[in-house]
Amino acid sequence: MANPRLLDKRRKSVKNIRKITRTMELIATARFKKAMDRASAATAYTNRITQLVADLMQTGLEVSHPLLAKRDNEQNATLLVLTANRGLCGGFNGNVIRAGARQWDALEASVPNCRLEVSGKRGISGMSYRGIAVAEGFTQFEDKPRFDEVEAIATRYLNEFAAGKLDRLDVVYTRFLNAARQQVVVETLLPLGSLGDVEKADSASANTPYEFLPSPESILEEVVPTSFKVKLFKCFLDTAVSEQIARRVAMKGATENADDLIKSLSMQYNRARQGRITNELMDLIGGVNALS
Amino acid sequence: MAEAIGTLSVSVVTPEETVVQTTVDSLVVPLFDGEIGILRGHAPMIGRLGFGEMRLTAQGVTTRYYVDGGFVQVADNVVSVLTGRAAPLDKLDAEAARTQLEGSLKQLATGDDAIALRDRLVSQARAQLSLVRKL
Repeated sequence: MANPRLLDKRRKSVKNIRKITRTMELIATARFKKAMDRASAATAYTNRITQLVADLMQTGLEVSHPLLAKRDNEQNATLLVLTANRGLCGGFNGNVIRAGARQWDALEASVPNCRLEVSGKRGISGMSYRGIAVAEGFTQFEDKPRFDEVEAIATRYLNEFAAGKLDRLDVVYTRFLNAARQQVVVETLLPLGSLGDVEKADSASANTPYEFLPSPESILEEVVPTSFKVKLFKCFLDTAVSEQIARRVAMKGATENADDLIKSLSMQYNRARQGRITNELMDLIGGVNALS
Repeated sequence: MAEAIGTLSVSVVTPEETVVQTTVDSLVVPLFDGEIGILRGHAPMIGRLGFGEMRLTAQGVTTRYYVDGGFVQVADNVVSVLTGRAAPLDKLDAEAARTQLEGSLKQLATGDDAIALRDRLVSQARAQLSLVRKL
C-alpha cells in the first residue's frame, strides 16, 4: 500500500514546480508584450521605407544595385541561424536547429565555401553536437536585440558582400505571423532580390511630385543597404518575440500538467490515508472482539 | 508669428522605436551637404540625411537631437525622419566618438569602398564630437 507521507512529499514538490512554471509563464508573457512593442516599432520603420521606395519608383527610376543582383557563380555563402540563449521553450530551438542543419547540408552541396554563424547558446551547442563547426557565435542577443548591435553584424556582411568575399547570405529564423502562429523560415537576405512589394504600395500620395536631394539614384543607393539592415534586424526581433511566445506556451502546458498531477496525487494521498484509518479501525475492532 | 506660420507634424522613427511624434513650428535637419530648414507648406521632398544636429522648434522652445544618417520625407505638412539612431544631445558618448575617430583615421583604407566606409566613420564621429563641444 502507498505511503501517505511519501505521496504528500511528492505533491509538495509538484506544487513547487508548478509555482516556478507559472511564474515563468507570467514573465514570458510580460517579455512577449515588450518584445512585441519593439517589433511593431520596427514595422513602422519598414513601412515608411517601403513607402519611400514606392515614391522613388514613381520617378521611373531603373532599380539596379549590386546588392539586388544575384551572382551566377556562388563561391562563398554564410548561413546565419537565430536561436535563443535559454531553453525551456518547447520545440522553439529544436525546430530552428533542425531547419538550420537541413539548409546547411543543402548549402554545402551547392556552394564550395560555407560559413556557419549562430546566434544563441542553444543553437551553438546544438550545432556542435551535430558535428557542424560554428564559425562565429553570438550570445549577446537576449529578448531585446539592439539595433546598433545588429547593424554591426549587418555592416560586416555588406562589406564582405561588396568585397566579393560573400556571395550569399541565408538566415534561418522563426518568423512571427501572429500570437498563435510562428513559422521557421529560411530566407536569403543577400542578394536582396527585391525591395519589398513595391507594386501594391500604390496609394494616393504616390503621385506627389517629390523633389529629391541630392538625386533619386543617390537615395536609392542609400535605401538598399538600409533596408537590408532593417530586414536583418526584423529577423532578430521576430526570433525574440517567438521565443517568448514559445516559452509562454510551454510553461502554460507545464503548469496545466502540474495541476493534473497535483489532482491525481491528492486523490491517491486521500485514498491511502483513508485506507490506513480503515485498517487501524479494523485492528481495533478485531482486538475488542478478541477480548470479549 | 508662430501661429501665422502654422504647424507641421513630425515623426522621427528609428528601427527600435518612434523617438518623436509631435507637432512643431519648424524643424532643421542635417542633409548630406548642409542643413535644411522646413516650415509649413514645404514642397514634397525626399532627402538624404547626413550626421548632425536636428532641431525641433515648437512655441519658441527648441529641442535638439543628434541624427545618424537616414532619410527625410516631406509631404502634406507631414515630415518623417527615418534614421538609424536619434538621441538627445546630452546622451551622446564623446568618448566612444573620439575612439571611433582616432581608430578610423589610423586605419589604412585601400579601394573605393573602404575609403568611403572610412570617410563615413570619420564624419560620423566628427559630427558627434562637434555637437558635444557645443553643449
